[in-house]
Amino acid sequence: MKTKNSISGLLFLWAICAGSVAYAQTITGTISDDQGPLPGVSVIEKGTDNGSVSDFNGNYEINVSNENATLLFSYIGFETQEIPLQGENSIDVIMQASMDQLDELVIVGYTSQRESTITGAVSSVNVEQLESRRVPGVTQALQGQVAGVTITQSTGAPGEDVEVRIRGNGTIGNNNPLYIIDGVPSREISFLNPSDIKSMSVLKDAAAASIYGSRAAGGVIVIETKSGTGRSGIQIDYFGGIQKAANLPNMLNAEQYLNTVTTAWNNAGYAGTNPYLADSGRSDFADVDYLDELFELGETHSLQLSTSGGSEKTNFFLSAGYYGQDGIVVYDNDRFSRLNLRSNINSNITERFKIGANVQISYQEQDQISSRGDAPGIIRHAFLRPPIIPVFKDPSDPTYSEEDPFTDLPFYVDPDNFESNKYEYSQNPIALAYFTDNTTETFKTFGNLFAEYDLLSDSSLKFKTNFGADINFGHQKAFNPNFGDDDGQGSEIDRGLGRQNRPTSLAESRYQDMTFTWNNSFIYNKTFGDHEISALAGIEFIKNNSSGINASRQRFDFTEPNFRYLDFGGTDRDLWNGGLAEEWALFSYFGSATYSYEDKYLLTANLRADASSRFSEDNRWGYFPSVSAGWAISKEEFMSDVDWLSQLKLRASWGELGNQEIPNYAYLTLYRRDADRYLISRYGNPDLKWETTAQSNIGIDFGIDNNKLSGSIDYFEKTTSDILLPISLPQLVGDVSATFLNSGEVSNSGLEFGLSYRNYDNLLKFQISGNFATLKNEVNSLHPNLPYITGNVTRTQAGHPLNAYYGFVQEGIYQNEAEVAEHLSGTTNPPQQPGDIKFKDLDGNGIINDNDRDFIGNPNPKLSYGLNVSMNYKAFDFNFLFQGVGGVDRYNDLKKIIDYDTRPFNYTDRVLGAWDGEGSTNSIPRVSFTDNGSSKVSDIFVEDASYLRLKNVELGYTFDVENIGNFRLYASGQNLLTFTDYSGLDPESTDLIDFGTYPQSVTVLFGVSANF
Amino acid sequence: MKNYIVKLLAMVCCITVISCEAYLDEDPIGLITQNQINTEPTAASITSTVNSTYQLLSSTLNIVGQWNWDDGTVTRNDFLLQDIASGDMQKKWNPDGDQAWMDEIAAFNFTSMNPGFNGIWSYNYEGISRANQAISTLNNEEVMSSVQMDAATKDRLLGEVYVLRAFYYFDLVNNFGGVPLLTEPLEDFADAYDVANRNSAEEVWTQINKDLQEAVTLLPAQKYSSSSEPWRVSLGAALAMQAKVALFQENWSEVINKVNELQAHNFYSLDDHYFDPFDVSKEYQENEVIFSYNHVSGVNPARGNGLAALMGWGFVAPTDDFVNAFEENDPRLGYTVQIDEQQPNKLLGSTDGNYKGNEDSPGNKVYIRYADVLLWKAEALIQTGEVEEGLQIVDQIRTRARNTQMVDGSSTPSDALPNYAGTGMSQAEALQALRHERRVELGFESQRFNDLKRWGIAEEVLSDLGKNYKDFNNLYPIPQGEIDRSGGQIEQNTGY
Repeated sequence: MKTKNSISGLLFLWAICAGSVAYAQTITGTISDDQGPLPGVSVIEKGTDNGSVSDFNGNYEINVSNENATLLFSYIGFETQEIPLQGENSIDVIMQASMDQLDELVIVGYTSQRESTITGAVSSVNVEQLESRRVPGVTQALQGQVAGVTITQSTGAPGEDVEVRIRGNGTIGNNNPLYIIDGVPSREISFLNPSDIKSMSVLKDAAAASIYGSRAAGGVIVIETKSGTGRSGIQIDYFGGIQKAANLPNMLNAEQYLNTVTTAWNNAGYAGTNPYLADSGRSDFADVDYLDELFELGETHSLQLSTSGGSEKTNFFLSAGYYGQDGIVVYDNDRFSRLNLRSNINSNITERFKIGANVQISYQEQDQISSRGDAPGIIRHAFLRPPIIPVFKDPSDPTYSEEDPFTDLPFYVDPDNFESNKYEYSQNPIALAYFTDNTTETFKTFGNLFAEYDLLSDSSLKFKTNFGADINFGHQKAFNPNFGDDDGQGSEIDRGLGRQNRPTSLAESRYQDMTFTWNNSFIYNKTFGDHEISALAGIEFIKNNSSGINASRQRFDFTEPNFRYLDFGGTDRDLWNGGLAEEWALFSYFGSATYSYEDKYLLTANLRADASSRFSEDNRWGYFPSVSAGWAISKEEFMSDVDWLSQLKLRASWGELGNQEIPNYAYLTLYRRDADRYLISRYGNPDLKWETTAQSNIGIDFGIDNNKLSGSIDYFEKTTSDILLPISLPQLVGDVSATFLNSGEVSNSGLEFGLSYRNYDNLLKFQISGNFATLKNEVNSLHPNLPYITGNVTRTQAGHPLNAYYGFVQEGIYQNEAEVAEHLSGTTNPPQQPGDIKFKDLDGNGIINDNDRDFIGNPNPKLSYGLNVSMNYKAFDFNFLFQGVGGVDRYNDLKKIIDYDTRPFNYTDRVLGAWDGEGSTNSIPRVSFTDNGSSKVSDIFVEDASYLRLKNVELGYTFDVENIGNFRLYASGQNLLTFTDYSGLDPESTDLIDFGTYPQSVTVLFGVSANF
Repeated sequence: MKNYIVKLLAMVCCITVISCEAYLDEDPIGLITQNQINTEPTAASITSTVNSTYQLLSSTLNIVGQWNWDDGTVTRNDFLLQDIASGDMQKKWNPDGDQAWMDEIAAFNFTSMNPGFNGIWSYNYEGISRANQAISTLNNEEVMSSVQMDAATKDRLLGEVYVLRAFYYFDLVNNFGGVPLLTEPLEDFADAYDVANRNSAEEVWTQINKDLQEAVTLLPAQKYSSSSEPWRVSLGAALAMQAKVALFQENWSEVINKVNELQAHNFYSLDDHYFDPFDVSKEYQENEVIFSYNHVSGVNPARGNGLAALMGWGFVAPTDDFVNAFEENDPRLGYTVQIDEQQPNKLLGSTDGNYKGNEDSPGNKVYIRYADVLLWKAEALIQTGEVEEGLQIVDQIRTRARNTQMVDGSSTPSDALPNYAGTGMSQAEALQALRHERRVELGFESQRFNDLKRWGIAEEVLSDLGKNYKDFNNLYPIPQGEIDRSGGQIEQNTGY
């Protein structure tokens, strides 16, 4: 009502003015900026209420009262211009971006802040650079962009997880950051379309992140999606390209393989005739390069459409996108696609009342193959499969069928007489890829609805309410058709079936997961002369409900895709179903206050109080305070003469953050059903409370020569204590799960350095930005009853980094019997032979056993860095990104199995340099089917996984087609160059043990974007 | 207008605070806590507790953990700690680097971190923990008075679990010496640390004797405790365990007494065919097996014999020394293991290769059979100077073997395995003969390492086999992880 009244009032007033004044002249013109016509610019006759607004084509019309009037042209983000008429009837205006924009608004917790007043460690991400990355998700695009943020793609398979770490691993449990998208929290952002993002900030230290309290220990990334601008337009962007596996090792060919296994058999000292020697020259042997057979060219397509527009009161941004990737493994069962649709609308209902909604719906589909790990590990088996075994059976083979033409057990004859032992139990990776049918679909609605009201007329006090919803529906379906050879085993009812997926089965599950967030806050901001005060106080409530059902059946009569539904599975036995739900809630108070004096002395304090349903009533509340201060030295009087220094600011902060990422209700004592009774399955710990991370940060921001050169340096120390550790009871109390206790401490410290230089003065405009960060990770303590945490190849122990590799240390290769006897003087009849690996006898007792193990590597990168260069020359633009990590080790289990294994798997050509007599080598052991020492976890397999990668390079050309629009053509490449000493497939893997993961591929893309 | 908005805001805030905080107290979904299980025990639930106590005797895979090779818990590791350690068995037919921790045990190059010890430790203690639960319920008069269970059933069930608990402690005390003695279920978390202290071996033996004594008075005097469930622990098993305890404490007269007591019941005799106690098709229809675990295929949760799966991967092979220990034409070798086919028949429960590789196979695990019991008595007799009488018993065993046809179906030559009695053997020779007989008769039945230790010849025999055995190895180390989990409270055995 009020709105309507005021509008009609204005109109009435304007009508009176126009009608009653004698002199009236209509001034017209076009308003534009360097990109074209600018709608929504307000035009006011100075000193009067008389005003107008430019239309969609930038045209305006205003009636003025006298010929010497002055017009004021103003628009958010642009310099206001005052132009006296001086008798002109037509005035065209080119608006200039406001200089204040250099001090851009950075989004921080629940609000935004001018960059110059920020005192915490906040990195504002250059969103434009993200867009040129041409990757499926926001996190991949962030790689190499921000000092102290390491991003690693777990494998190269389409749609795989991406690991994001801000300032290292702070805890033994969950280290994932928290994402806040338009005020709505989320634990992942793979659904977001990178080109929908307007701004993104990484809150790295406690001062910045403590407003998010108990969920912020892993750092916080705050994202704002695009909103409409006054100008309407349509943008279309398409790119497509191909991918190829790279850096593959050379595997042995059939002849080399047979020679090698023949030697291995001889070296093992087995009795009898050498079966491999006997096999040489067999006519049914093939010579297959399984890597070549497994990998093909992959394909990527992306199409994005967006449009935005609006009036002064209401604006909108709409976008639709498709991203599809078909991976590099044959038969196309490795795919990922995403469809998303976004609608962002904001409206000023009155001058003081604003509402808006940002909503995205998206659909993702992932066809997943076993991209990592041991079993079945399609990639791994491509390495293991002996090259002598053909991919396909000969059609004359009695076990050949059109449905399953693949070889399985080598040279199958009948169940009692196959030669699988001779060529070991490798599986046919091509068949595994072919028979994989594992699809995950996710349907997601994510968005928020907000309203903002200025409580005071001077806009100094605002109330904001924001309701967010994150609604997910998922569907997972894995159909496992029976295939392979009959090995004479399996339960009675399945006798005669092939050994793989015996019997055929289907497992299907559906779930829903909903998180609702509602926060209400008061935001106060006022300047009193030189004093500026801003404050924030609010409450937030987050509630999550999830539930799911699953079912499976076995023994399907038909395996065609149209019968891959539960109804067609056998009903006699092996029918399963299940269902479960979970819920958690978080209720919080938060507050923040900032005081600044002349923008020179800055002080901020935050406090959040969180209550979580995950903890017992007595330990439910956690309090997370932080304080930070800044001193803008460059604004001091005594610095006014130092012209070259445009900015210099010192910052310091301290604060506490929490982590509540443990299973729900971990404090309770739980029981499980065992036949007809209930047993304790876990003893509870009612004292369980928050994990707390205290972090201190000092930093400098500087700018030189009008901020052409700018940068920042930060040093931080963060210590996580009361870590939520699962502590196992002595097993003598029976088989119970571990109880969560608060114990243990992990510290991280590091130096972060970001530097950027830009020069837009010449025709060749360029910007160079680089960053690097160091990280030192150390476990300070664990628990008295948990002196260390043992993984398969790792040990987490006080005084060492998290998950440090732990094992034997190679000294060399035993060259002769005498060396064996001397080194193993304390061992009776040592089984070691010359040619076996000689491990260091650390305790010097002449026996190599568990006591001779030591820390042999650190999987936490000590150094991460990125270098981004973008250039612009006339219509051409060019940019590239180098990214890398240093000082990181990885356990290359693939090397163990393809270079040193004691089973007749295939080998890489490195094995050709194996020990074959005294003095031949002191590094690669003899090939043998008996243990040559390679079965021990040792530093032989711990490799330096540092790398430097040309992550991205893109060349573009922009041109205008008159009356149609503006176009840009581009070509881009990813991972074109990799420098590393790591011998595995991809140095960039998050797995502590690399079993042979799906590698990241070299990608070449071509694209076009158009603006209409 | 403004007033209205402010009031609205105030209301919004209040509603948020009041209604939202209540959500923090929702009942956990699907988590079973004390609130749900405060139901009175029933006859069914008590029986179930007793039945689950048996499970830790089984060779079913992953009773504790899931494919946790590095924790040593995929199988019960008797075959490793007894047969492989004693040099009768080797890990694989073609030894390779797979599961190299087993090689360390074979060579006696292990440390307390070897997962093999962890496996046997956790299996036995899980069994004890279930037994304690059952015993405490069955002995709780208040509870039992409200349960529909007749006294005979109650006594029988109690007798069963006493024997099982005694068995688990017996295995622990032989492997590790004095271990923490738990006889009651744990009440809460902190209790776990109070009980994590080693008792003396004597205290453990005393408890074993006490449990067995109780069991003997409780179990019904019939061959099978329950004719419909012949797999249950019987009076015979309790008496045999008493005899075995006496044997391990070298209380020879008690061994003879207990075996006599058992024989007086006339429940058992030697089967005509050596393989019958192992043959899947003859389970609970033959005369010799006294105490075994009943593996069953195709049930859920799985109760099959999983050791057969390992055999499919090439595990479980004889050493040359073991094969050579057999006299010429001893048919028992072929029934124990068929070398050409790489088949450990005895452990498969078949002689045709059936079940090899099947992780859900039906072959039972035999813990005590009558032939073993007879040899205890023979040993006790020889030790007490009744040499001839002892040898006559050994001859019963040899005769039965001689009368069994060879595994390939051919008949065993009548001059194979000649009798010892009447050949004028000295006591020392007789003892030697008995030790040989135990090795070949009970091969692969997880008796050998205990026998070597009992006879005090472990170092001599194992050193000859090239093993790094030292005196202190007569006890295995307490698993290091267990010492750590107790915060160092549990003390390690000497030498480790």
